[in-house]
Amino acid sequence: MSTVVEVESPIGVVEAPKKKSKSLWSDAWARLKKNKASVVSFYFISFICLVAIFADYIAPYSFEEQYLDRVLQPPSWQHWLGTDSLGRDLFSRIIYGARMSMAVGIFTSVISLFIGAFFGAIAGWVGGKVDSVIMRFVDILYAIPTLVLMILVKVIFDSLNLFENPELKALTSILLALSIVGWVTLARVVRGQVLQVREMAYVEAARAMGARSTWIVMKHVFPNILGPIIVLLTLQIPMNILFESFLSFIGLGLQPPFSSWGVLASEGWRSLRYFPHLIVSPGIILFLVMLAFNLFGDGLRDAFDPKMRGKS
Amino acid sequence: MNRTKTIYYIVLAVSILATMFMNFMAFQVPTALWALDGLLVVGGFVGYIYSQNLGVYVIKRFGEAILVLFVIATLTFLLLRVLPGGPFDQEKALPPEVKANIEAKYKLNEPLYMQYYYYVSGLAQGDLGESYKYLGRPVTEIVMETLPTSLQLGFYALVVAFIIGIPAGVFAAARHNTWMDNTTMIFAISGVSLPSFLVAAVFVLLFSFGLDLLPAAQWRGPEYYLMPVVILGIRPAAYIARLTRSSVLEVIGSDYIRTAKSKGLSERTVLFKHVLKNSLIPVLTFSGPLVAGVLSGSFIIEQIFAVPGMGKHLIQSVTNRDYPLIMAMTLLFSAMLVVANLIVDLLYSFFDPRIRLS
Amino acid sequence: MLYRLSTALVAVALVASCTKKKELEYGLNPAETLTVNLNTEPPTLDWSKATDTTSSHVMNNIMEGLVAYDVTTPDLQLRPALATAWEPSEKASVWTFTLRENVTWTDGQPFTAQHVVDGWERLLNPATASAYSYFLYDIKNAKDYNQGKLKDFSKVGVSINDKGQVVVTLDKSKSYFPYLLTHASTYPVRKDVIETHGDRWTEPENIVTLGPFQLKIWEHDKSLVLTRNDNYYGTKPKIKNVLAYMITEKSTAINLFDSKVIDAQDDLPTTELKFLRERPEYKSKNLLGTYYYGMNVKKAPMDNVLVRKAVSHAIDRQQITDLLAGGQIPATSFVPPGMFGYEKGLGIQPDIKKANELLDQAGYKDRSKFPKLILGFNTNEDHQRVAENIQAQLKTNLGIQVELQNQEWKVYLKTVRTDAPHMYRMGWIADYPDPDNFLSLMTSYSENNYTNWGNEEFDTLVESGRSVLDKEKRREIYRRAQQILTQVEAPVVPIYNYVSFYLVSERVKNYPVNQMQRRVYSNVEIKK
Repeated sequence: MSTVVEVESPIGVVEAPKKKSKSLWSDAWARLKKNKASVVSFYFISFICLVAIFADYIAPYSFEEQYLDRVLQPPSWQHWLGTDSLGRDLFSRIIYGARMSMAVGIFTSVISLFIGAFFGAIAGWVGGKVDSVIMRFVDILYAIPTLVLMILVKVIFDSLNLFENPELKALTSILLALSIVGWVTLARVVRGQVLQVREMAYVEAARAMGARSTWIVMKHVFPNILGPIIVLLTLQIPMNILFESFLSFIGLGLQPPFSSWGVLASEGWRSLRYFPHLIVSPGIILFLVMLAFNLFGDGLRDAFDPKMRGKS
Repeated sequence: MNRTKTIYYIVLAVSILATMFMNFMAFQVPTALWALDGLLVVGGFVGYIYSQNLGVYVIKRFGEAILVLFVIATLTFLLLRVLPGGPFDQEKALPPEVKANIEAKYKLNEPLYMQYYYYVSGLAQGDLGESYKYLGRPVTEIVMETLPTSLQLGFYALVVAFIIGIPAGVFAAARHNTWMDNTTMIFAISGVSLPSFLVAAVFVLLFSFGLDLLPAAQWRGPEYYLMPVVILGIRPAAYIARLTRSSVLEVIGSDYIRTAKSKGLSERTVLFKHVLKNSLIPVLTFSGPLVAGVLSGSFIIEQIFAVPGMGKHLIQSVTNRDYPLIMAMTLLFSAMLVVANLIVDLLYSFFDPRIRLS
Repeated sequence: MLYRLSTALVAVALVASCTKKKELEYGLNPAETLTVNLNTEPPTLDWSKATDTTSSHVMNNIMEGLVAYDVTTPDLQLRPALATAWEPSEKASVWTFTLRENVTWTDGQPFTAQHVVDGWERLLNPATASAYSYFLYDIKNAKDYNQGKLKDFSKVGVSINDKGQVVVTLDKSKSYFPYLLTHASTYPVRKDVIETHGDRWTEPENIVTLGPFQLKIWEHDKSLVLTRNDNYYGTKPKIKNVLAYMITEKSTAINLFDSKVIDAQDDLPTTELKFLRERPEYKSKNLLGTYYYGMNVKKAPMDNVLVRKAVSHAIDRQQITDLLAGGQIPATSFVPPGMFGYEKGLGIQPDIKKANELLDQAGYKDRSKFPKLILGFNTNEDHQRVAENIQAQLKTNLGIQVELQNQEWKVYLKTVRTDAPHMYRMGWIADYPDPDNFLSLMTSYSENNYTNWGNEEFDTLVESGRSVLDKEKRREIYRRAQQILTQVEAPVVPIYNYVSFYLVSERVKNYPVNQMQRRVYSNVEIKK
């Protein structure tokens, strides 16, 4: 798995919209609706989100209950997707896995976005010394191998025992490890966007008229960079879901007995030759969700891309 | 001026290609030829920098890089001491007397600032220390023995990525909004949609056991290289394809291409002569981090295909708390990223003379 | 152009694949080469410093100690190796070793008693910083020398008498002492070689050994080659070479085994055992090792012996071993079967009814008042399966809540050593086949006892067991000690005894399978 590659997304191509917002949003929406793949993907993602939220009602079994008389069974009427090496129902584990995987994907992306946007915006807007200090720091973090940083942070936070609640405990260290790596790229992108918007005529005009910085940022800058940021967010989510599977692969994934798609994939891939049911269904669902997020993200990007306006 | 630049550039490209080819085919090449080849690579590079008047720029960038690496070394050093568990903790607990001897030998009993001082002064002399796990082996030796294999794997993967990615992207863009475009892009997205360990498992099952075409693992010759290289290359290939596509689309839409078209130049000429060259710049920007990413990401592939590279040390050194080895790995990967970015920046000025480096 | 080049490449690759597949690396002949997998790079081949199983695996093939196990006897009797005879003094506090004559090292130098003394000096020298130096702490003054308190090695109880015998004086009488000398850390060394080459003395071009094989090639992180040592004093190996790869990923190793690249693989992936054990190539052997859970008796409610006993009664070990499906043996006693001192039926047997009665007695009739137990283990698929199963069993059998806490290995070690959770997973595999190696773990002063439990009678029994030479007396002592440990006080819950499993190709005869997992390939034959 290439690490930096996943953080670096082809977002560099997106440019800030040149005009102001209202028509942009409705335009983008109209263009997005025409992209069938994106629409289907959007519905699929929404469906998965619903599954994640209502996992307790959908799953026929618990994700941790062991049926030791039915270990490693192939799919049957009783267990639709078979059972794992502890006799747990795989279908239920995939359903509950949706909850954990989506939580990891969405929360990490949002956390890294907040951190990244905060520092990126300050660096881009204030400029000067503040900019160079922040960006130096970003450069340094960026140059540390993602993997090492991720593992170190994960192990350190795992040993801290910050929460009592087992679900929170399982999630936090992963969220932190992934966000610490993720925000750096976002800071760079946001800074670039802010720099561009800052130079634009209407922002300069607002400044010249003596408007307060915060007001300008909220009123003019954010609406204009929101599009690219949403796109970036959509593309970050699948990367983080994959990163989580990667952490599971090296044995630093979600704490048991919780299940996520990454956990299932890394538990199952070795069994491809002997117990293919362990990996086929988690593999397919993981693949489809990744595909959906990427297609939707690409569609969004095209929709927001000013170059595409008036086309198609 | 422009011509000398091109000559150096070609020398560089040809000698690098030659190295890779000889290496891939595992030819038994006399050392003199390797030396000559190495000389050509270095010479071509230096000549290129010189002809572009980039000497000062490169030196300045190197200075910055060393500063960055120093900060990273310090940061990692501190992070490692926060990490719970020591390098010599093992299943069978050691009596305190024995532990004291070991700690004295590696100076782990001294205060943290002294350890840091020893580390930095060693670093200044190019001494990264001895591994705590592979007893008696200097970490530089471990790196030197495993790095070439990882580089080999990484570079082939990159070559695969560029060879597949760029044409696919151009093709999709040229057929924009047709089913061919869509199919190519779905393929490209599929390429990033599965964890590589899963792809590897499927490939091995298919090509080694199903079709009995390729060896299931190991790193002994061209037929062994194919599967790991391709699997490692798929992901960057997919990214490059997507990037190239959007970049080409953007360039096609720009004014000067419209002008070129209206002047009646054939679509082919326009596409290859003008569009491609201009749209490669964003792809290039992306290549710096890509190189480092592929190199550090090769760990899973190395593990599954039993490739004797250094990817495993990147992970295992952390689980072993092998401080010197972790530090060496971190610094090495950081250095590679920094150098890759520098090279990318230098190549900019080749592709786009308008970009001035200073 | 590109197209042609790529077709040419593919063609060359295909041709290469056809020609290469038959031949082994380094030009070795498959008919006289055993190919195995070491799983990892040996951290070092310096036997004074190595502490891990991979290194021992290689070292045991290229070196020998004064004595060795006879793996053909069920309780692993000692057999002569570099020493032909060994005699204890009446109280077993002085041991005299008669050395074999006419043994030569691979560089032609004769083996002498001085090499034995040199090896022990090096092991105990504080500058060597060997992790296993404590192996010889039983020798008089050895500990002081290792701590640097004593500078003069001649004051340590090791000497060569005028007959060329090695005489060892111990600080107290120790009946098991010769067993220690089977361990690689006590092997003789060639100081001249080490002084000449420094840390690089273990590289193939420098290393000097005297075992059945010698190290020919060592490509770090990839493979190593051992070849037959034609100067070996004993029966020479039947195969000429051992090619050992370092393949970390188990499923890859299985794939290579199926592709006939490697002849044998141990350490099989446990999820697939259900399938693998049906194969004709499958072999397994119980090991002298125990997988157990310790209880921190300082943490309520584990301070109550009734609770400890209840938990031990409530765990059906058979269910766990069925789950692991590798033929592990359910254990209730701490000393593993196959070792002197093991007795069937010792320890707390699974009994759910009794368990509930005990827990009621302990004052937890209302189970909701029972505090939540923390069960710690280090992150690993199998430990997880065991822990999750124990969690489920305690819930159904006793109605108590258990929370799992898994940690990365080194973090886990730190946790159990500083503040162990209510229950923590540990395992022990014998260094030498003597019950002392197991029972001394749980003495109140042992560094490996994280339970905070200590019992004076137990300590004294273990201490006295060491010096008694009479077998029946010893057996009696260890029975009593085990009763205290696993029945009366119950600070540990033995779960199962380890099993090693292998896949061995049918072309390999006499693959070494034994309860100490000593893989010396001297007797291996390759079928034509």
